[in-house]
Amino acid sequence: MESLYGILHGLAVAAQPAHLLYTLIGVFIGTMISHLPGIGPSAGIALLIPVTFGMDPSTALMMLAGIYYGCMYGGAVTAILLNTPGDAAAVMTVLDGYPMARKGRAGAALAIAAVSSFIAGTMGVTALAFVAMPLAAVALHFGPAEYFSLIFFALTTVSALTGESLAKGMMSTFIGLGLATIGIDLQTGVPRFTMGFVQLQDRVSFLVVVVGLFAIAEVTRMVEGTLQGTMHTVRVQGKLWFTRQEWRRAKPAIFRGSAIGFFCGAAPGLGGTIAAMLAYVTEKKISKRPQEFGHGAIEGVAAPEAATNADTCGAFVHLLALGIPGSGSTAVIMGAFIMYGIQPGPMLFTTHPDLVWGLIASMYIGNLMLLVLNLPLVGVFARILYVPPGILLVLILGIASAGVYSFNMDVFDLFLALFFGVMGYAFRRLDIPKAPLIFGLILGHTVEQSFRQAMTISSGSLMIFLQSPISVFLLLCAAASVLMSMWAKRKPAAELHKAVEQAAEGG
Amino acid sequence: MRDWVLAGCAIIGALIYLYADSQLPLVRIGDPLGPKIFPAIIGGGLLLSGLLLMLETYRKRQQVASVSVVPLPAHLPVDRQRPGVLLAMLAWTVVYYLAFEPVGYLVATVVFLLGLLTMFHRKKPLTNLAVALGFTAVIYAIFTQLLHVPMPPGILEFL
Repeated sequence: MESLYGILHGLAVAAQPAHLLYTLIGVFIGTMISHLPGIGPSAGIALLIPVTFGMDPSTALMMLAGIYYGCMYGGAVTAILLNTPGDAAAVMTVLDGYPMARKGRAGAALAIAAVSSFIAGTMGVTALAFVAMPLAAVALHFGPAEYFSLIFFALTTVSALTGESLAKGMMSTFIGLGLATIGIDLQTGVPRFTMGFVQLQDRVSFLVVVVGLFAIAEVTRMVEGTLQGTMHTVRVQGKLWFTRQEWRRAKPAIFRGSAIGFFCGAAPGLGGTIAAMLAYVTEKKISKRPQEFGHGAIEGVAAPEAATNADTCGAFVHLLALGIPGSGSTAVIMGAFIMYGIQPGPMLFTTHPDLVWGLIASMYIGNLMLLVLNLPLVGVFARILYVPPGILLVLILGIASAGVYSFNMDVFDLFLALFFGVMGYAFRRLDIPKAPLIFGLILGHTVEQSFRQAMTISSGSLMIFLQSPISVFLLLCAAASVLMSMWAKRKPAAELHKAVEQAAEGG
Repeated sequence: MRDWVLAGCAIIGALIYLYADSQLPLVRIGDPLGPKIFPAIIGGGLLLSGLLLMLETYRKRQQVASVSVVPLPAHLPVDRQRPGVLLAMLAWTVVYYLAFEPVGYLVATVVFLLGLLTMFHRKKPLTNLAVALGFTAVIYAIFTQLLHVPMPPGILEFL
């Protein structure tokens, strides 16, 4: 009941003209970013953070969240028309979306993607609104030991379940945690690992890392794209709607996809790509016509699209209720929260109710805006695809540089961002996932503080982590996620490979 | 092969990190752990991940003989030109960042963008000039006027 009041209150906040405007700007930018191959939501949000510094935090966060789900929404367009996912999560939409477009059903594929995204988004926000508050109430009772175990769990899942290799995920997490230890130690005042740089005493700036790792590193991907040359675009023909029969096939897939997506989002670190993969594989398994998958089955577009959009809402559950990001992009949004001086977590619902509920309600409005934006304007947005990538990549580098400099007005940050850009390039070449690094960096400080506080309470005994049942449960979950990655990981990956092969044969 | 090198780098990095950690002063003010213990755990974890990667790579190599590995579609074919182009871009960006304050935002950015545009968007010098000038002007206006961030004037200080 309290959640219902919260949503109504939030709607009143989100419906203020300024908030509406910035939500619209956010989803608009998100849709545009999703049309740029190579630039994902994390990079988009990071590039926009400097622009939001003067703004009121609620407005800024509504806009940044809008970029995130707007990007997820629009990722399908490039998948369907270009055979290239606009963001990583849209990779499954390619498998059936592009074959549909080749068969002349591009309009139907785009429409079903937009409608599934809308339904999943709305269901996801509703679930978020009703789950987040009870979860926050439980989390209020967490002490340092429970918090440590919770973050430990989040870090374990993100290292174990993103990417192909457990070792590389772990490596990325520990590099992130290591970066978080740079700077003056708050409890003792000892400067750690600053390598003599005064600028590093105040810790490594989160924004600099994210812009470098995502925006600057992604530019290199675009460079590779321009050097390689051609991409084949399918033009949209005919009416932008689906037939009744197509809807009948897609409808159950949308609901199943939404449920899978929300649960994947609510498990920290799973992320949209895995949600989409699971939704796709599930649909294929229960379908009466599995042979059509990969050749333009409409369920193959509806289910993963629903899953990725519900996943974004699930990812917000942790961020708002526990202060733990649910995905790489929510980690970047969490960085923005902290930069505005707001610590996301269970207290948020009592200290900043306007902000939390306003943000949740703005997601309803944003979803509606996206549906309206996407259906009639899909042709207009698709024109972004024809902007020469040679120009785009240069502009992205320009925006990234100006944004990083504006943060501290220090050239040192520019070089640091470039260093992380090179590192991001190396990560991509070596198949090291980036999300765990961001998790480590953003949670490193809190996890160290809770660890040290817990150890202070217990006078240095590790048993404190095994005395609380919640803590034990979370540690067991962490162990389970590692085991799961070891035993079951190969399976969806193998399925994905098979599906991709089939798509390649069919296309 | 790449993964062997990566594992080696991680292990060396972890050792350097652990050494730097051991050099930190031992301070314990109302805190039984002090500033050194937690980084030591992280360094140990990084070391472990390097060793684990070695194990994974070793196992994978044994498997390759029996199972053929299907590459993911995201992998693009290697272009011979690319390393050179990327290195040139990196060097050009370093020059831009070095010039950022002494030369000033406006001049440095226009030159930087024009250089990159000439490289990646060839045969359209007029469009490129317009993009470089227009983009720099818009970004400069947004940051100095809207966000009140003074961008370095450099050689245009007299303006």
